[in-house]
Amino acid sequence: MSSLELTNISKRFGAVSVFQGLSLTIAAGEFVAFLGPSGCGKSTLLRIIAGLERADSGEIRLGDQRIDTLAPGARGVAMVFQHYALYPHMTVRENIAFGLRNGGAPKAEIAERVAEAARVLEIGPLLDKKPGTLSGGERQRVAIGRAIVKQPRLFLFDEPLANLDAALRTRTRLELAQLRRRVRATMIMVTHDQVEAMTLADRVVVMNQGEIQQVGTPMQIYDRPANTFVAGFVGSPRMTLAPVGLVPGDARFATVRLGDGSQVSTRVPRADLPSEGLLLGLRPECVRLGPPRPGEPTAQVEFIERLGDRTLVYVKLGDGTAVTAEDKGASQAQVGQTVGLRLAAAAAHLFGPDGRGHHAAGRAG
Amino acid sequence: MSAGDGYRGRGGLVGYLFAGPYLVAYGALLVYPLLAGMALSLHKADLFGGREFVAFENYRRLVSDTVFRQAVGNTLYFTLLTVPALTVISLALALALNKAGRLAAFFRGVFFSSSVLSVTIVTLIWRFVLTPDGGLIANGLKAAGRAPIPFLSDPHLALPGIALTTVWWCLGLPMMLFLAGLQQIPGELYEAAALDGTSAWRTFWRITLPLIGRTLLVVVLIESVMQFQLFGQSQIMTQGGPNGASRPIVLFIYEVAFRRWDVGYAASASEVLFALILLASALQYAATRERRR
Amino acid sequence: MTAAGVKGPSLAGFTPAGLAGVALAAAVMITPLLWTVGLSLKPNFELMRDTSSVFGPPYTLENYRAILANSNVFRWVFNSTVVSLSTTFGVLALSSLAGYAFARLEFRGRRALFVAVLLGLAIPEQAVIIARHQMFSALHLHNTYPGLILPGLSAPFGVFLMTQYFRGIPVELDEAALLDGASHFTIFWKVLLPLTLPAQATLGIFTFLASWNDYWWPLISATRSSMFTLTVGVASSQMNFAQTSGLGYLMAQAVFASVPILIVYALFQQHIVRAVAGAATR
Ligand SMILES: Nc1ncnc2c1ncn2[C@@H]1O[C@H](COP(=O)(O)OP(=O)(O)O)[C@@H](O)[C@H]1O
Ligand SMILES: [Mg+2]
Repeated sequence: MSSLELTNISKRFGAVSVFQGLSLTIAAGEFVAFLGPSGCGKSTLLRIIAGLERADSGEIRLGDQRIDTLAPGARGVAMVFQHYALYPHMTVRENIAFGLRNGGAPKAEIAERVAEAARVLEIGPLLDKKPGTLSGGERQRVAIGRAIVKQPRLFLFDEPLANLDAALRTRTRLELAQLRRRVRATMIMVTHDQVEAMTLADRVVVMNQGEIQQVGTPMQIYDRPANTFVAGFVGSPRMTLAPVGLVPGDARFATVRLGDGSQVSTRVPRADLPSEGLLLGLRPECVRLGPPRPGEPTAQVEFIERLGDRTLVYVKLGDGTAVTAEDKGASQAQVGQTVGLRLAAAAAHLFGPDGRGHHAAGRAG
Repeated sequence: MSAGDGYRGRGGLVGYLFAGPYLVAYGALLVYPLLAGMALSLHKADLFGGREFVAFENYRRLVSDTVFRQAVGNTLYFTLLTVPALTVISLALALALNKAGRLAAFFRGVFFSSSVLSVTIVTLIWRFVLTPDGGLIANGLKAAGRAPIPFLSDPHLALPGIALTTVWWCLGLPMMLFLAGLQQIPGELYEAAALDGTSAWRTFWRITLPLIGRTLLVVVLIESVMQFQLFGQSQIMTQGGPNGASRPIVLFIYEVAFRRWDVGYAASASEVLFALILLASALQYAATRERRR
Repeated sequence: MTAAGVKGPSLAGFTPAGLAGVALAAAVMITPLLWTVGLSLKPNFELMRDTSSVFGPPYTLENYRAILANSNVFRWVFNSTVVSLSTTFGVLALSSLAGYAFARLEFRGRRALFVAVLLGLAIPEQAVIIARHQMFSALHLHNTYPGLILPGLSAPFGVFLMTQYFRGIPVELDEAALLDGASHFTIFWKVLLPLTLPAQATLGIFTFLASWNDYWWPLISATRSSMFTLTVGVASSQMNFAQTSGLGYLMAQAVFASVPILIVYALFQQHIVRAVAGAATR
């Protein structure tokens, strides 16, 4: 269990620059998720940490040791590959023991550690089978077994759930969470699925186009998105981002005017807000429906998605601004209907023209 | 595939360690002799190490050498005798044997079996099939009251006799290539044709043949290159005779190099052959590339 | 055979005409073989008078007994075995090592070297054999086993085949092994090589067959009868036909010489067909 420190990592593939001076610190024992759209560089960063790619510049430290100059096998890092990469011609036992054998561990110790890994992962009965005969979930456990048996200081998972069907994915997510509690090690998981990141990780690193957008706990990421990218990427359905104008005044909190003229009194401090080019950010659950009322925005229902426990209602304001609202499961809304929007203005976010987020004061985060 | 660097062989040394042994063999036993052979073709050279640079004199000699010209003619004639026959017969066999089941597999095995024999065994067998002096064919003709045919001693029949032997020996490979081509044709096409009441003959011309066009081309080119290199059959069965009537280019090279030890001259003949084969190989490469696309 | 058996399943998908045609062709195909076997079972003096005596008894194993008494033939079989097995082993080793390097390792000039190796596929034996013969003369390698084995090791087909095969194996396996602390040699030997077994079989059988049946190089390199391979030995007794002990003996030699390779064929038929067809169309 060691802390990981990336300093000024740069990497390019030919003409394509993936990272330019990326830095990140992960505390010992933390479970961190790299979250971002496909192609943003998550896997590349993981592979640089593992030593499968070499960074063009920068430094990596694990605990008090510099590891970017070491061979992959000497870094004290274990990785679970997206397609598991089990050795097809070896039994499960041989797969798990392979790394220990290469390290020259004594036979008795290898047997003991393989047995221990098998016990933790409940794969004892599989030990003498070949990977080809295992199910997807079993293969993944073997892949995890191959990683934990080495007692690494750092675990790396590349899209660990991406290859599983929906039911198995939920179950494996729980198993990973439990594994996490049993195996005390620093862990990094790569995923493009925000639910995985939010449910499993202590902290989430949101990435886009090779740059870290925000690092924070799942709730920080959700409640106080650092910028419009994070606001749009995390949360489903997406946060509504509507252009607004700042209403002049000298109150402590900003009041803004939507395109249709209606005003919203946020709890965002006016102090260091830019005065132009603002976007109002509203999560769907902060926009409820009701009969139209004076002083509140009215809108026309464009499209309805019934999810059973709740209903998503896509509406348009008078000036055409699109807003996503949430209603109860048994929603009465109908397409074409004119409705009033009840905004939970205290939970609204504002984003400046540079994309930076400004959030309600005093909320936990 | 190009993923990763750094760990893929520290500065290249590991790569050379793995590829090195083969590259040494390749350089020393293939590339060097190839270049040395080209150089040799520009020299008058003999067995005893005498060597004199003569530029293109050897090639000039070749052009006017009636023995070489006859060998080139023989080689072309032999290719014409064998390649069409091999193609047609092996295609017919492939069509007949493109079936599941043990019986078809057994027959495929029979027709391919001769291909695994060495040239010396094949010629041994066929000399005593072809010989007018109590050979298998002569026995058959005698039973039918006919005179025996002097296959290998008649200048007009020597190459056809060798061609017959060669077709028997070589038809397994093109048959297998055609079978592989036929396997690629979706069965639904034949079912559709059968539902339309298309005759077998028409099905062959309109469906099968167009769909194995590439295979056909590949077979013709491969066989042309192979038969162009005729050597053992002539060398063993007729020694190129009678009167050079069955001497192909490769036998010419062999005789000049290893019987008359006029190595420079032989090298020039082998360069001419190389150029011809390279041309056919280039065609084959173009054809297979086209097919893979 | 019953009347009901004539159609349907017993024809195994053949039409009656098709089956008759194929059977006739097969008969033509194997008649020369039967003729050879028949002649080998007749006493030589009887064949001298009239070869049609082959169609009736008496038959004898005398010719085979004569072969067993002739130490030369066994020597040739031994030589062929040594040469073919060594060539096969050498080609498998060199091709696998080089295939791994070309498919997986980075080194300066890798692409250019691989292209150069591929171009080697188009070089026919005739273009190198004269200079190679001179080279081996200078090195005193003629009439030795290395002299017979070495040329086969330069064939590029194996490198081409193994490189393609290694490329088809997911790179994740190498990477997993790297993280497991494996060296390049361990990755090659313990992780990837076992997965190339099908390709090894194909290449091995193809190489063995080509080496066993090779004629031209052993013909000019092994000039001493004790160093003949079986292929060259059979050719030599055939050329000296007049001096040998007769037609039956010669035919027995043909049968005897075919047996090893036909056994190999019977055992590995599928592999052989795949290997030969693969090498032809590469
Ligand atoms: N080996 C490589 N060669 C060239 N470009 C690469 C290579 N690996 C990744 N890339 C590029 O780097 C970027 C990041 O890729 P990756 O880390 O795989 O993204 P993610 O895992 O986030 O989907 C992509 O644009 C990808 O095309
Ligand atoms: Mg990825």
